[in-house]
Amino acid sequence: MTHTIAAPAVDLDGLRRAIQDEYALVARQPEHGFHFLVGRPLARLLGYEEAWLEAIAEPTIASFAGTGNPFSVGSLQPGERVVDVGCGGGIDTLIAAGMIGPEGRAIGIDMTPAMLEKARTSAATTGITNVEFRDGFGEALPVEDGWADVVISNGVLNLMPDKDAALREMARVLKAGGRLQIGDILVQKPVPTDAKEDISLWTG
Amino acid sequence: MVAAGFVDFEIASRTDVYAGAQQSSSAAEFGTLGITFRARKASSDEEWQHALAALSCDIQGS
Repeated sequence: MTHTIAAPAVDLDGLRRAIQDEYALVARQPEHGFHFLVGRPLARLLGYEEAWLEAIAEPTIASFAGTGNPFSVGSLQPGERVVDVGCGGGIDTLIAAGMIGPEGRAIGIDMTPAMLEKARTSAATTGITNVEFRDGFGEALPVEDGWADVVISNGVLNLMPDKDAALREMARVLKAGGRLQIGDILVQKPVPTDAKEDISLWTG
Repeated sequence: MVAAGFVDFEIASRTDVYAGAQQSSSAAEFGTLGITFRARKASSDEEWQHALAALSCDIQGS
């Protein structure tokens, strides 16, 4: 027997605007202070290796706001194709680019213009050329069917109300047998319906 | 996960990524943790159908 989990009745456009506002602040003022950890201290907490960060521009590291470590559950191989869903300032996309090497290709996708700008600037300033950053939503990834060997994401799935749609999109862009390596959150206590429909709680 | 086409789902790690943040949050109220998980897209429709058939638990609530 299979079940789908109904998406909460939340104003999707309003939620996306609130998330964009929050993460634009993370992009532009990472020192602002948030309800979640950010930056290099968070990367250390999550087990990011210093060697991975050596090639990454400091502004991108400062705006890191993940909740897990997608690289801790499997290494990426030279030549592989990677999609990073909700790439933010690009830290995981750029780390992936280093792992897959010049024969590989990484695509980072995000809906927040300030984050995309930061990611593109970081790639340009560090000379990382096997990456591309695209504007888009997790529920409608701008990537062709079966393109990716690996889909990574970090702290993003929880921000999408329709998780079934997001997961189906991740499956669509993966090759058969492709890997999903995700950092996200686990909520251990039931969340009341009214809380699920409160946009302020999605970002705080 | 299985309904979307994935198999071999596994949560590999759990970390409190909210402790020590500069702003307070509702995360602790709901026992929220950062996790890392992995899964694999089924290699074939046969493998996926086998995984779907193997599901035997009901999910409470939504």
